Amino acid sequence: MNAFVKGNPDLCMGCRTCMVACVVSHTGRHIFELDPDDYTFNPKLHMVKTRAISVPVQCKHCENPACMAACPQKCIHMEDGTVFIDTENCIGCKACMEACPVGAIDMAPVSGVYQPDGKERYVANKCDLCREQSGGPACIRVCPTEALKLVSYEEIADTAQERRLAAAKANADGSLGAAAQAK
Amino acid sequence: MTMGVQEIEDAGLILNFGYNGADSHPIVQRRIIRARQKGAKIICVDPRVIESARIADIHLQLKGGTNLALVNALCNVIYTEGLMDEKFIREKTTDFDEFVEVIKKYTPEDVSPICRISPEDIRKAARLYATTKPAMILYGMGVCQFGQAVDVVKTLADMALMTGNFGKPATGIGPVRGQNNVQGACDMGALPNNYPGYQSITDDAVREKFEKAWGVPLSNKVGLPLTHVPRRVLRPEDPSKQIHAYYIFGEDPAQTDPDINEVREALEKCDLVILQDIFMNRAGQYADVVLPSTSWGEHEGVYSCCDRGFQRFHKMIEPPEGVKVDWQIISEISTAMGYPMHYNNTQEIWDEMRRLCPSFAGATYEKLEATGGVQWPCRSEDMSDKGTVYLHKGKFSNPDGKGRFYATDWRPPQELTDTEYPLILNTGREVGHYSARTMTGNCRLLRSLEDEPGWVQINPEDCLEYGLEHGDLVRLESRRGWCLSRVSCTDRTSPGAVFMTYQWWIGACNMLTNPNLDPVSNTPEYKYCSVRIECIEDQAWAENYVVTEYRRLRESMGIDVSGEEAAVQ
Repeated sequence: MNAFVKGNPDLCMGCRTCMVACVVSHTGRHIFELDPDDYTFNPKLHMVKTRAISVPVQCKHCENPACMAACPQKCIHMEDGTVFIDTENCIGCKACMEACPVGAIDMAPVSGVYQPDGKERYVANKCDLCREQSGGPACIRVCPTEALKLVSYEEIADTAQERRLAAAKANADGSLGAAAQAK
Repeated sequence: MTMGVQEIEDAGLILNFGYNGADSHPIVQRRIIRARQKGAKIICVDPRVIESARIADIHLQLKGGTNLALVNALCNVIYTEGLMDEKFIREKTTDFDEFVEVIKKYTPEDVSPICRISPEDIRKAARLYATTKPAMILYGMGVCQFGQAVDVVKTLADMALMTGNFGKPATGIGPVRGQNNVQGACDMGALPNNYPGYQSITDDAVREKFEKAWGVPLSNKVGLPLTHVPRRVLRPEDPSKQIHAYYIFGEDPAQTDPDINEVREALEKCDLVILQDIFMNRAGQYADVVLPSTSWGEHEGVYSCCDRGFQRFHKMIEPPEGVKVDWQIISEISTAMGYPMHYNNTQEIWDEMRRLCPSFAGATYEKLEATGGVQWPCRSEDMSDKGTVYLHKGKFSNPDGKGRFYATDWRPPQELTDTEYPLILNTGREVGHYSARTMTGNCRLLRSLEDEPGWVQINPEDCLEYGLEHGDLVRLESRRGWCLSRVSCTDRTSPGAVFMTYQWWIGACNMLTNPNLDPVSNTPEYKYCSVRIECIEDQAWAENYVVTEYRRLRESMGIDVSGEEAAVQ
């Protein structure tokens, strides 16, 4: 099943290094080799700050993606544990953006490609787990406090198993079985 | 800092006072977060909900400008509840009784309405600080940038003294300095009252030592603090002491000093302004001469970290042709002015400095390279002297070896709010932009995160009252000037208090700030002045103004803006 990147608000300090790394990673070049006029600043994760929380939010890579179902162009795909957008064929209709329950999709311009109104062409933009780059998601690699991690189904399953165990023990409180274990 | 930055992770408790590491020094904040993971308690004292406040055990969200009242009250609780380290006070300190005379007036009940913190929270924080060991205090510009600043620093030191939190690992008090290498500037004597190594200008023996080394007679009079310059240009008390020339390097006073209208007027009036920097900035627009110098990747040398740690850094790339290194420019200017100055490399300068400064004498280039860094004092060149991680082990640096208590009464900031200017303005940093933005403003990735005109944080209650929405442009006014900024509607700031960052040219909060100075440090009261908000009906006009004005400013600095999107009319 698909993994996803999750931020820990107890470790996050809201610095947004992850957003910069995301942009740089998707240019496929090193940060010192970027031409300032030749890329789009289109981070695929967004820092959310409330009074109590600072944490970046990004795509959950759902198993039955609402965005994929909503896309009239069929240009959202699922492959190798990633839900990703084929931006070449995206018409910018924003249906995926409306459909996404976590707000993980926005619209971002493509550098050097133009729409009929003369503005840069806008396409749907979201986390693809850096599928075309080596080394895994860039946001995880750069986070100064290691606040981001890739959460796999197995990990969640392990946690669920632990919780089931705890729940079973709680349920059994006061039963004959619990008394037997206490002896 | 009396402690080492690396010790932060070992603290049992961190009192994070007027210090926003997440925006000012993410690398230090990382240590605070790690300490928290290792189980350290955190008390955060800040008028806003900063990142440290989110992870703190106790957040004292005090009203701005009430620091000393609160610290006196914390000391009061520690004293009245008998939570002191009496043995430490008896053996290692003096003047405790005089100190108690002052702080005993500051009961939590009396201070509560001043700071807007409940007496119970003040008690809880004092108890937690006094009973958790080792406890360290980290403070920042939220302490220093007030008209009453040095008094607060001394009273924070009192808190550490009365609980025995000095001279042991992961204790003490740490001013986490405002900028990279500001510690280095102070260490090297870029202060009006000291030679390098904190040796007093008024000490005859010291002066004679430097006169002998440099072969020139030297003044024994304390110089002028930076923040007094505008007045000495515009309104000198003694006309014969008026300043006519101003040589500025690595600094943008026309952006970062308070009341920049006055600063700009002074720069305008000055007969000669020289700017030595890596890129153009606002002060450069008033310069008669601009001396381009190399940036950090184009030269090598030594930086001092906030914890007294010297670190060698190396050149990575060749500078553009004709651009010189700072020390070469200074040598050539000096030679041209009649004092021949010649060095072949930075090591010659460093070695001369070490010979003249006993507390730095042992920090040789060889040792810095071998160990990665040395914290002064480091007195012996022998490789076994690895410097000093924390200060005041065994004794204090006063002649009697004892720590001296000091106490005084709280006084409010100079410019209080009234019906005309009803809001408190607090200012600080933006995480992605370093200081005046002279460097980072040229980095597109960082500009993409945050750019002109910047944000003014306003509490949702105030937004409702003024009819403001998140993202609106507003005009802010004080008795000294005005600027535009964009509304960030957030409950991280309290009702009645707004917050801005200081590096924007259009949203320049220093058009508003008050040049009231602490009488000892001469640091301005950047953290407190009164302002008002004027809503702008014509938002399209305001948006257009920001774009055209920013473009005009950049164009006037010689930046090619032709490829950029023009303003939408």
